[in-house]
Amino acid sequence: MATSASPQQPGGAVVAERRGIPAASFVEDVQIYLNQLGLDVNSTLAFLQERLQQYKVVEMKLLAQQRDLQAKIPDIEKCLDALLTDFEASEGIYSRARVEDIDSVCLWLGANVMLEYSCEEATSLLRKNLENAKASLEVLIADLQFLRDQVTITQVTIARVYNWDVHQRRVRQALASQDS
Amino acid sequence: MQQAGGGSETEVTWEDQQNINKFGRLNNRYHELEDEIRIAKNFEDASNELILTDEEVVRFQIGEVFAHVPKDEVEMRIEQMTETTTKHLEKLKDEKDAVVAQMADLKKVLYAKFKDSINLEED
Repeated sequence: MATSASPQQPGGAVVAERRGIPAASFVEDVQIYLNQLGLDVNSTLAFLQERLQQYKVVEMKLLAQQRDLQAKIPDIEKCLDALLTDFEASEGIYSRARVEDIDSVCLWLGANVMLEYSCEEATSLLRKNLENAKASLEVLIADLQFLRDQVTITQVTIARVYNWDVHQRRVRQALASQDS
Repeated sequence: MQQAGGGSETEVTWEDQQNINKFGRLNNRYHELEDEIRIAKNFEDASNELILTDEEVVRFQIGEVFAHVPKDEVEMRIEQMTETTTKHLEKLKDEKDAVVAQMADLKKVLYAKFKDSINLEED
């Protein structure tokens, strides 16, 4: 994999990668970039297109993870809500159905596992899960923003390399017709 | 958002790139906000309907559990939930306005520099 060491201007954060996602290097000058890569225009464009595809694949994966988390969080919040409000609203009504169980709660942990907890333990477990899920979501959203920036940079670079090539051809053509 | 190729030689600086990136991020956020606003509006409509029921004791759903709750308490809870949602909706709309304003500013800057070489409109 070719690496370009184009210097970034001061004031822009320079990050080589983020959690396994390689950063797209910003191209200061197309000619210098092509020289550094040591590739011709078509190969460069192909390389950049492939990079773009790889970014898209990662984006799909992250979006799927984000959807899962976004479904999980209200789930946990509903459980917490049920715990907290049933406790207060249920005196006369709910306790008719289950007298002893007021002190203990069964939580479905998934994978065919259900554990019994005291109300306090259940509440703190759910709260912790909720915090972890929210924190994971934040990191994920930041990953996606970083990824989208790299996609944009790559798209712009592709356009610039292409435009540069078109410009070069025009110049060469103009020179050729001058000589003849 | 696409960049149109025109064979021009306009230089793209890192600052330009950052502006373009920022525009892209704002555009994404704009669409997310539109979706969130639509969902919040649905909830507001639904809770308005609920207030119109006429029974004494209402089955109120908390998570996956239905609790028999007297109508007064249900009304109070729905009122609270509606207020929370309305505030949330207000916040979303304010954020959307801010995003739209920032996008308009960036458009001015970017079109000024790149004119036809850049396309910042929705397809």
